[in-house]
Amino acid sequence: MPEDLLVDPETLREQVRDKYREVAVDPHRSFHFHTGRQLAARLGYEPRAVDALPDRAVESFAGVGNPFSLRRLEPGERVVDVGSGAGFDSFIAAGQVGESGHVVGVDMTPEMLTKSRATAEALGFDHVEFRDGLAESLPVEDGWADAVISNGVINLCADKQAVFTDIRRVLKPGGSLQFADIANGRPVPPEALRDIDLWTG
Amino acid sequence: MLEDVGFVDVQIGPAADTFGGATGEEKARAYEVYGYAFLARNPG
Repeated sequence: MPEDLLVDPETLREQVRDKYREVAVDPHRSFHFHTGRQLAARLGYEPRAVDALPDRAVESFAGVGNPFSLRRLEPGERVVDVGSGAGFDSFIAAGQVGESGHVVGVDMTPEMLTKSRATAEALGFDHVEFRDGLAESLPVEDGWADAVISNGVINLCADKQAVFTDIRRVLKPGGSLQFADIANGRPVPPEALRDIDLWTG
Repeated sequence: MLEDVGFVDVQIGPAADTFGGATGEEKARAYEVYGYAFLARNPG
């Protein structure tokens, strides 16, 4: 493990996969965070956009904020969703960019990818696709995206600098990074920062 | 960190009470954890 990281990246990925596998396959059980339509309403998503989506597109949503609140996507834009989960934010993005745009969701949890791909097919969204990959090495060509979105994912990555660096790589010059994530107002004790179990729970 | 890797025009939105009413609320309150929206631009 690199000395400047608090936890081992691959061990953390395994824990994140375990947690979000549960969110994909059993979204109505109790987690330490809110999920689904109740969460989308709490975070200020446009009700009309959320209501237009079927339950399977919304029920596993587990974001922490609204990545569209500071900037609405433009029609025709190319978008990458880092840590797309079951696809909720990708589908919201797809509605904003329209069929002249394109959305690539990237996730590392197989159950999330299976669910998001099936939902995209059920919705008939040909301009949305989901790829297997990591936030630190996005499976997207250099300078492809007009915008990168993400929601509650980067805090779960051990090497945040690597994530932001790769996001810059896939963005066009002048492109936007618009994401939501958690931040703490009080310092977390150093021993807690190195406790990997606290990162996902 | 966003500016460290070269992003510019960084904006941060208001805090969202992400964990309010969830089972993780107590831990979130202990460290004043909230959700935020961030916007930044890749310089042209």
